[in-house]
Amino acid sequence: MAARKGWVVGLLALPAVVFFLVFNYLPMAGLVVAFKEFDVNLGIFDSPWNGLENFTYFLESGDAARILFNTLFLNVLFLGATLAAGIILAIMLNEIRSTFFKRASQSVVFFPYFVSPVVISIILQVLLAGASGGGGAVNDALSGFGFPAVDWYTEPGPWPWILTVVKIWQLGGYLSVIFLAAITGIPEEVYEAGMIDGASRAQMAWRITLPLLKPTAAVLLVLGVGRIFYGDFGTIYAIIGDNGTLFDNTDVIDTYVFRALRQLGDFGTTAAIGLFQSVVGFILVVIAVLIQRKYSKETSIL
Amino acid sequence: MSTRKLEPFTVVSVIGVSLAVLACAVPFWMIISGSFTSETQLATTGYSFFPDFDFTAYKMIFTGPAVLNAYLASLFITFVGTALSLAVTSGLSWVIARRIPGISRPLTIYSYLPMLFSGGLVPLYLLVTQYLHLQNSYFAVILPLLVMPFLVFVQVSAFRQLPESIFESAKIDGAGELRIFFTIALPLSKPILAVVGLFYAVHYWNDWFMALLFIDDVHKFPLPLVLQNLISNISFTAMLPQLAEAATPVYQLRLALTTVAIGPILLAYPFAQRYFVKGITLGATKG
Repeated sequence: MAARKGWVVGLLALPAVVFFLVFNYLPMAGLVVAFKEFDVNLGIFDSPWNGLENFTYFLESGDAARILFNTLFLNVLFLGATLAAGIILAIMLNEIRSTFFKRASQSVVFFPYFVSPVVISIILQVLLAGASGGGGAVNDALSGFGFPAVDWYTEPGPWPWILTVVKIWQLGGYLSVIFLAAITGIPEEVYEAGMIDGASRAQMAWRITLPLLKPTAAVLLVLGVGRIFYGDFGTIYAIIGDNGTLFDNTDVIDTYVFRALRQLGDFGTTAAIGLFQSVVGFILVVIAVLIQRKYSKETSIL
Repeated sequence: MSTRKLEPFTVVSVIGVSLAVLACAVPFWMIISGSFTSETQLATTGYSFFPDFDFTAYKMIFTGPAVLNAYLASLFITFVGTALSLAVTSGLSWVIARRIPGISRPLTIYSYLPMLFSGGLVPLYLLVTQYLHLQNSYFAVILPLLVMPFLVFVQVSAFRQLPESIFESAKIDGAGELRIFFTIALPLSKPILAVVGLFYAVHYWNDWFMALLFIDDVHKFPLPLVLQNLISNISFTAMLPQLAEAATPVYQLRLALTTVAIGPILLAYPFAQRYFVKGITLGATKG
């Protein structure tokens, strides 16, 4: 292809190039706010510098350790739990012989992926709070078994686990579709060989399917690690909102930054936290990609 | 495989999948049936699986302009957003897929780099509010979400599966690169455009974060934001028309609004689902 013609095609990418420039690369330059005493009237570039003050302010505020821990802890929990759930669900779906039941159940478990976090938040309220505050389906079940009811929305302790269940519910079906596609790609002869050797269905799942799903899981893991410092802000904030009693266990970098931005209007500090988040996230993803590349070259994502 | 005997593992799987299905379906049924249950009954006997068909909440929703406006806002964001996203994503993906020397490779790096490193919330917020002045415009919701890198992956791999020979013969017939794209590649890619478009549409329909950040005017709220406000701020019900006979059925109203918000997805889902599966598997194998 002649170079001149190449440029004509290149025009098709122009809108995207402009989009990335404005909405991704310009904000990167905007990160200088992290080193400034930001004044809305002066704008990003005319506001006075204040060195590392924004960073030290955040680190000395006492919130830093808590939200960093929460971010890492929750995201590791989410990533591990959703991947495991996706794999288990895919293997179980693969065992189902009735095509109709298999398709129908796949459609149903996939569905939560398509609803807004706000809807998920309302479903959770129905289950945990009920219409009159103290109730809720979960409490009804608890009292049915003779346990005392829990006032979930004032009790921070169980929330990391509640959120993990929510993430499994939201993403388990979606991930199972990916893993089921990978299982379909496993050659039938492998299973036939297993059958000749007298392997049970359970043994085949454990010794054949599971190991062969490793590359797919590795790719998803690497992609997940890259986002480990971001988490799914929309979901957590839709569920927790400004309920301060739960912050001890649920406040993550994104929700903290959002509140600081909207309520305090503290641009400098929040930009500093954002910069910190991006840098650590970047380092993590590079490490993850390098490790993954070392172990399986062909499934590497870069 | 049809002659294999029933093993314990298969039984366990059937039970496990059935439980997963129930866990995913029952909450939605609770919402829908609750939306037809009167407020007093919700308060006394809680949610039931079989509604008593009380339409109070739906009457409130459909007699006032608030929800209708929110619906229109969400529709606008979804339609305009999806159309723009599809156009921009297709153009970008085509150029990447063509492996043009000196262009495709740098363009790939340029497009994927933002996945690894981003400016974060604050610079984006400043950009949209201080420099582009898009507050309270639906484009403040649409533009930041314009390109999803995952869907670029999907489109690129779909374009690469088109037979090169068609393009070669079109070129011999004198078609230019742009003409090949518009009259051959795009029409041949209709299924994948449907996949990518559906993903974008769901994305826009459900978005509440960009709206939360950039839309302050209550009258411009898209549907998810109206819902969210109803959760956190009961007084928002003041926007809805009061019915003479009773106090505002806050809980029933929430459930009815939720039903209204998931309605379109629920209706379109049976038709759209196979496309989604196709999109995910395409993206996963190449991604």
